[in-house]
Amino acid sequence: MTIKHTRRTILKATAATVFTTAFIPNLVWANGPINIGSLTPNTGGGGPFGPTITAAHKSIVDRVNAAGGILGRRVELFQNNSETNPETAIRAARKLVDVNKVKAIIGTFSSSVTLGIMPLCQEANVIQMCTSSSADIPAKDKKGLVFNFQALSPRWGKAIADLALSNGYKNFAIMALNNDFTSSMVNSFVETVTAGGAEIVNKPFYYNGGQASYRAEVAKLIEDDPKAVFIPSYVTDFTAVYKELYRAGYEGKVFTVSIATGSKFKKAIGDAANGILHGLPVPPLESEAYKFYLKLQGLEDTGNMQHPFGTAGMDQISTLLLAMESAGTDDANEAAKHIWKVSNPNGERVWDVLEGIKLLRAGKAINYTGASSEIDFDDEGMIKARHFQLWEIRDGQDVTIERIQS
Amino acid sequence: MSAYLISIATFVGFYMILALALNLQWGLTGMVNFGIAGFFGMGAYTSGLLTVYVGFPFLAGVASAGLMGLVAGAFLSMLSVRLRGDYLAIVTLGFAEIVRLFLLNEDWLTRGPRGLSIDVRPMSESFDRNEYGIFYLGIVALTVLIVYFIVEKMRRAPYGRVMRAIREDDVVTETLGKNAFFYRVQVFSIGSMFMCIAGALYAHYVQSISPDHFVPMVAIFIWMSVIVGGAGNNNGLLIGAGVVMLILEGSRFLGDFVSFVDAESLSAIRIIFIGVLLILVIRFRPQGLLPEPKFQAPVGIKTTRVN
Amino acid sequence: MGQILFYGLMDGAIIALPAIAFTMLFGILRFPNFAVGTFMTVGAFIALTLNVTFGAPIWVAAIGAMAFTSVAMWLSDVIIFKAMRESHSISLLIVSIALSMIVENIIRLFYGNDVRGFELPLERPIKFAGIKFTPDQLWIIGTAIVAMLLVHALLKYTRLGKAMRATSDNFALAEVRGINTNRVIGATWLLGGALIGLAGVFAGVDLVIEPQLGWSLTIPVFAAAILGGIGSPYGAMVGAVLVGIAEELTGHFFEPSYKVGVGFVIITLLLFFRPHGLFGQPEIKK
Repeated sequence: MTIKHTRRTILKATAATVFTTAFIPNLVWANGPINIGSLTPNTGGGGPFGPTITAAHKSIVDRVNAAGGILGRRVELFQNNSETNPETAIRAARKLVDVNKVKAIIGTFSSSVTLGIMPLCQEANVIQMCTSSSADIPAKDKKGLVFNFQALSPRWGKAIADLALSNGYKNFAIMALNNDFTSSMVNSFVETVTAGGAEIVNKPFYYNGGQASYRAEVAKLIEDDPKAVFIPSYVTDFTAVYKELYRAGYEGKVFTVSIATGSKFKKAIGDAANGILHGLPVPPLESEAYKFYLKLQGLEDTGNMQHPFGTAGMDQISTLLLAMESAGTDDANEAAKHIWKVSNPNGERVWDVLEGIKLLRAGKAINYTGASSEIDFDDEGMIKARHFQLWEIRDGQDVTIERIQS
Repeated sequence: MSAYLISIATFVGFYMILALALNLQWGLTGMVNFGIAGFFGMGAYTSGLLTVYVGFPFLAGVASAGLMGLVAGAFLSMLSVRLRGDYLAIVTLGFAEIVRLFLLNEDWLTRGPRGLSIDVRPMSESFDRNEYGIFYLGIVALTVLIVYFIVEKMRRAPYGRVMRAIREDDVVTETLGKNAFFYRVQVFSIGSMFMCIAGALYAHYVQSISPDHFVPMVAIFIWMSVIVGGAGNNNGLLIGAGVVMLILEGSRFLGDFVSFVDAESLSAIRIIFIGVLLILVIRFRPQGLLPEPKFQAPVGIKTTRVN
Repeated sequence: MGQILFYGLMDGAIIALPAIAFTMLFGILRFPNFAVGTFMTVGAFIALTLNVTFGAPIWVAAIGAMAFTSVAMWLSDVIIFKAMRESHSISLLIVSIALSMIVENIIRLFYGNDVRGFELPLERPIKFAGIKFTPDQLWIIGTAIVAMLLVHALLKYTRLGKAMRATSDNFALAEVRGINTNRVIGATWLLGGALIGLAGVFAGVDLVIEPQLGWSLTIPVFAAAILGGIGSPYGAMVGAVLVGIAEELTGHFFEPSYKVGVGFVIITLLLFFRPHGLFGQPEIKK
C-alpha cells in the first residue's frame, strides 16, 4: 500500500466529518443574537448538580429574552453536557467556541474541566464562569477572563474549622473524597484547628468515589474514637459513607460541606441524618436574591439550604448579561471588565437581572447581589464569599447554628 | 466552523493513532488491550512532566513518552500476554486503572487531582490561533502517517504472517519454531509505544491535563473505532475512528435544534443515541465497514479466519 | 480484625450473586457481559419505585425487582445478543458496554441523577463477639446465602440445572446430546437477571441509589468471577468473599486511595499463577 492511498483514506474520514457538519445550518441570525455557552455536568460525577445549573441558566435567558434581550439583541444559549469529563468537555468547548461563536462558557463544575478548557478559552478570548475550587484557576488566567462563583476551598476549610472550634469541638479525625476541592480544604482545616488548640487524631486520608464499599475507610476513620469527624465530599459518596458511619455506631459529631447534604440526601437517609453539621458560603441574611431564585425555579422555601450550584448558575448568567449591558458590547474583554463593575459594592443592590438592566439603562450604577453569595470578586475574579453559614440537621431540616462574616 | 473541524480532525488523529496501535495488538496479533487509557495517560504525563519540570523540548518529550510506552508495554505483556483474551481484557483494564490511581494519588510527582498545565509547544510563537490549529493538525497527521506506514509495513512483511499465525493459533506457531511469547511482547510494546506517543501529542495540544482525562471511556471509543472500521484492516479503522468521532460529536449538535426537551434529558438521550448507533453498526456490519483483506497466502497454505 | 473480615463477608454477599450470574452467562455464551452492573442499578430502581412510590414492603419490592430485571436481561438477549451468537467475544463485550450506556441513561431519563434510598430506617449496630453488625447487614448475608443454596439445588437436582451445567462445560457436546441449548440460554438469562436484580436491591440498601450505582460494583463482580474460575458458580461464591476481604484489608491497612485497584491486582496475580482461576477447568484448545 502506498502513502497516497493513506491520504485518500484520511481524506475520506475528514470528508465524512465535513459532510455531516455541512448540514448544520449557518447559525447567524438576522438580528444578531448574543451567543452564550453553557457547559454543565449533566452526567458523570457532577450529575447531581449539573441539571440545576442548566435550568438556572435557561430560566434567566428566557426571562431576559421575553423582556427584549440585552443591547436590543436576543440572547442565544447553547447548552452542552461536559459529562464531568475533561477529555469530552474540550471537544464540547471547541464546538461552543468555534461553531456557536460563544462569548462565554459558563457553568463548568469540576476543576479538571474548567482547567481543561481554559487554554482554548484564553486563546479565543472567551469568558469562563465556573464553580470550581482549584487554586490553579486564578494562576492560569492570564487575561482576566475567568470568574469563579465558588469560594476557593481553603476558605471553606478555614470557615468550617472556625465554626467547629467555636462550637467547642477539640478532637477530630478526617477523611475526604480524593479531589482537589477537598484536598486543599483539608489542609486549611487542619491548620486552623491545630492553631486553635484542637487535635487531629488520625492521619487524614483520601478515598475515591464510586467504590463498592466504604466500610474499611469508615472503620479506619473512627478507630481512635474521635469526638468529631470532618468528611468533605460530594453527595453521592457522602450518602454511602454516612450510612456506613451510622451502621458502624459512630456517635460523635459529623462535619461536612453542605453540597453533600442537600434535600435529596436527607430524604435518602431519613432520621439518621439528624445531627450532621454542614457549612457553605451563603448570601447575606434574608437574601431576596435567594427567594427570587426559588420562585424562578418553582421551588418552595423550606428553610433548608437548596441547590448551591443552581443559585450560582443564576448568578453567573445574570452577572454576565448585566456586564454586557453595562459594557454596551458583547466583546468578552470589555464585558469581563464590567463584571466587577456590576457586582462589586458601589451601586444599587439588585438580584433580578431585569431590574438591573432597567437601572443600567437609566444610567445608574448597580451592585448585583447573588443567590449563592453576595457576588463580589477579588482582583483575580475569585468570589470573595464574605458570609459563611453552619447548619445542623434537626428533624430533617437545616437549622442555622452560626454565621460568620469576614 | 473550519477551526472547529480542524480541532475535531486533530482529535480524530489521536484516535487514529490509538486505533492503529490497537489494531497492531489485537486486530493483527489477537492480544486484547483495554488499558489504552492507561498508556494514553502515561504518555501524556511523561512528556508533560519532562517538558515542564526538566525542560525537555517538545520532540524529546514525545520521544521519552514513546520510550516509556515501550518499557511499560513490555512489562505488562511479559506479565500477561499468555492469558486468554477476555482475561487479558480485564488485566489491562486494571493496568489503566492503576495508572490513573497513580496519577491521582502520587501528587509529589504528578500534582495529583490538580492536574498539570503544559505550555511547551513547538513553534507556538510563529502562528496565530487559527494557523496554529492547522499546524498542529499537520504534526498529528504526519504522526498518523508514520504510524500507519510502520503498522502496514509490519503487516505485509513476513513478520505479519507470524503475527496472524499467533492470532489464529499460537500452538501451531510454536511448533513451527516461532517463539510466540517473544513476538507477542514485541508487538504489544510497539503498540503501547504508539499509544504513549498519542498521549504526548494530546497533552501538548490541550495543554492542561489531569487524571480525569484518562478514564476507561477512551479505551471503549478506540475499541469501537477498530470494530466499527474492521479489525485487522488499517484503512478500515481510520474510517472507524472518524465514524466514532462523528457519532460522538455530531450528536452534540442535537441540542442546538431541539428545544422541547430540557438539557438534562437531552444529555441522556444523546448517550442513548450513541449506544444504539454503535450496537447497530456492530450488529449489521460484524466484520466492520472495511473487513480485513484476505491475506494472500503462499500457494498451498490455507488460512482461516476465526472472528 | 474480625470486624474487617465481617466487612469483607458483607461485600462478598453483595457481589456473589451477580458474580454467579456473570460466570454462568460467560460459561455458556463465552463473552464477559459488562452490562451486569447496570442491570443491578435497574433492580435497585425498580425496587425503589415499588418501595417508595407504591409503598410496598422491601421484600415485595425485591421480588418485583428480581422479576423485572430477569425479564429485562432476557429481553436484552432476544433483542440484541441472540442475533450475534457467532460474533467475536470482544465485539459482544463492546456491545454490552454500549448496552449499559443505553440502560444507564434510560434510568437517568426517568429518575434524574439525584441520590435516593429505600424507606428503610438506618439502624445502629449490635455488638456480638467483638463484631459490630446491623440487622439489615445480616438480612443481606442471609438472603444471599439462601439464594446461593437455591442456585445450588437448581444446578444439582433439576433437569434444567443439569442441562445448564452440561451446556456450560461443552456447548457443542450438549447440543449433540439433544439438550435444547436455546432453552438453556434463555433460562440462564432469566436466572442471572433475577440474581442480579436481587443484588441490586442489596446494593441499594448498602450504598446509595443513583444511575451509576452498578458501575462501582462491576469490577469486584468480574474479579470474583475470574478468581473463582469462569463458568464455576461455586468458585464465584468463594471468589466474592475473597475479593471482599481483600478490598477491606487494603482499605484499612494499606492505602484507601488505591482500594479500587485491588480487584485488578488480585485478578492479575491470580491469573499469573493459576490462569484458570481457583476452581476453573483449563480450556481445551480446539
